[in-house]
Amino acid sequence: MTRFSGYLDDFGMVTLTLAGPLAAKFKAIREAGFSHVMLDAKDIAADAGGMDSAVQAVKASGLRVSGLQWLLDFEGLTGRQHDYKVEVAKGMLQMAHALGAPVLLAAASTNPASSSDLSAIARDLRKLAMMAVPLGLKVAYEGHGGAHRIRDHFAAWDVVWRADMPNLGIAIDTAHAVASPSSLDDLDLLEAYKIFVVRLADFMQPSDAAAPTGPRAPPGLRVFPGEGHQSAAVADLVRRLAALGFRGDYSFEVFNDDYRQLPPPLVAGRAWAACEWLGEDVLRRSVPLPGRLRLRQASEA
Amino acid sequence: MNNPIEREIQVHASNPLGLDGIEFIEYASSRPQAVGQVLEMMGFRPVARHRSREVLLYRQGAMNVVINAHASARPGSIEPGERPVIAAVAFRVRDAAAAYHRALERGAWAVPTHVEVMELHIPALHGVGGSRIYFVDRWREFSIWDVDFVPIPGVDQHPPALCGLHWFGIVQYINCDRTGDWCEFYRELFGFAELPDDKRFGVMPNGKILASPCKSFYLQLVESPPFMVQSDDEETLQRIGLGTPSVPEAVAALRERGVEFVESSQVHSNERGALTTHWMGSLVFELVHDGGEDK
Repeated sequence: MTRFSGYLDDFGMVTLTLAGPLAAKFKAIREAGFSHVMLDAKDIAADAGGMDSAVQAVKASGLRVSGLQWLLDFEGLTGRQHDYKVEVAKGMLQMAHALGAPVLLAAASTNPASSSDLSAIARDLRKLAMMAVPLGLKVAYEGHGGAHRIRDHFAAWDVVWRADMPNLGIAIDTAHAVASPSSLDDLDLLEAYKIFVVRLADFMQPSDAAAPTGPRAPPGLRVFPGEGHQSAAVADLVRRLAALGFRGDYSFEVFNDDYRQLPPPLVAGRAWAACEWLGEDVLRRSVPLPGRLRLRQASEA
Repeated sequence: MNNPIEREIQVHASNPLGLDGIEFIEYASSRPQAVGQVLEMMGFRPVARHRSREVLLYRQGAMNVVINAHASARPGSIEPGERPVIAAVAFRVRDAAAAYHRALERGAWAVPTHVEVMELHIPALHGVGGSRIYFVDRWREFSIWDVDFVPIPGVDQHPPALCGLHWFGIVQYINCDRTGDWCEFYRELFGFAELPDDKRFGVMPNGKILASPCKSFYLQLVESPPFMVQSDDEETLQRIGLGTPSVPEAVAALRERGVEFVESSQVHSNERGALTTHWMGSLVFELVHDGGEDK
């Protein structure tokens, strides 16, 4: 069985992890064995050739795009602040559409001026998901420790249910499992089909309970699953999600100063080792996942 | 309440826009004459031309069809190509401005319009694919055609409908697992309601059917099979459904005019409906029995 045979196809990297231009990141990710990638909007916007060049780089990479991150501080605003964020969201949705990203990740607002009223938050998320419909996109909403009101995946789950849109779900980050291990006990209260993305990382600190989380958290020492002190918690989360029936994409949400100054192929190789650890040692997969057939990529032809 | 008159206007929750049927359906094509020939075979007649653009209006009975061959400079809009596509649907509403702003408030995308001097500004939203959804509130005592179009001299401006043909519905192709998304879109923004799965019309019964809040036409959402490769091009307004009190009579009358119908083991003309063969690679019409009893 080759590394491209598909039984680890649900694990992917995020462009944010690697240094260098987009094309080099995609090449390293692809050659390491991955079939999909999560795009970070900053990496796309910062590409030297502009948006069109980034789109071409994505298409030429042979990688499937699993999503685009992050729409920030969208919900709970009124008046001109809301109108401004709607325009930002439209820009992000158009980016996702152009890049072939099926999911836009939206992080719970950190804006202290945003409303804490769950009905208002749900109304705005419903509007965001409605905006995504004509473009064929989904929205994955993530609660995180740094947020003003929605601070974990259960709060996110609640507000997503209130919003009640088929293309609106949640994203889960390992950081919450590490910060609050007891929350794993209630994981089976969630419905697997509403979990759109799971972001995995291990941590070098013995305990990350007090560390801030979310897209604006300082880099710290997020490492690949199996490399840090929290491997057991990561493995526990992945096993529970598998038992729950989650069959979506896992994304390695790893960023640290070390990996940003090492050659991308070296870092992507470490990511692939984490992928094998999760697939073979944690989930004990020996055959391809059912229903995850993959079309032959141009670069393989 | 800002406007005291609003207090006295009855707004039905089931039809928040006061939607009242289809004012027109627009095809985009770089071969308007060829599309026009097909429309004439289907019983339509050319009745007017746009004042400033290469746009023709065809009509039969209460149905208006626009053929747009005007190339737009706007990015993202459907450009007229060899294969005709349904580029827009215009809904009749009570108040176009109110309907437009209500939809935007709920997450619709506005389409910027660029009208020439003295032309009407018809508000538009992004629909499926690159198509648009217009709101029109002038169709009773005064129509949009009176402003932007010039009647073709000597032509009956109100040609009668062949065999009682009228708008029955629009079939929209969507990608796999997208029915829920589009049902929410049409329900939230326009007030459409899903019909039970056992409620079916015509000879092409797949998918989910939504009834307009005015109960005068339907949308049929048809997903692509899961094994098909998904792409944006798969999501489109695929065809128009025309209602008639007697499908066999309509089929016979249209055959006399040169229209051919699909007759296969899976799809064939009967009392419930019929499907024309394709013209120009994409132009197809469906006939559906509709004596008015279901509405």
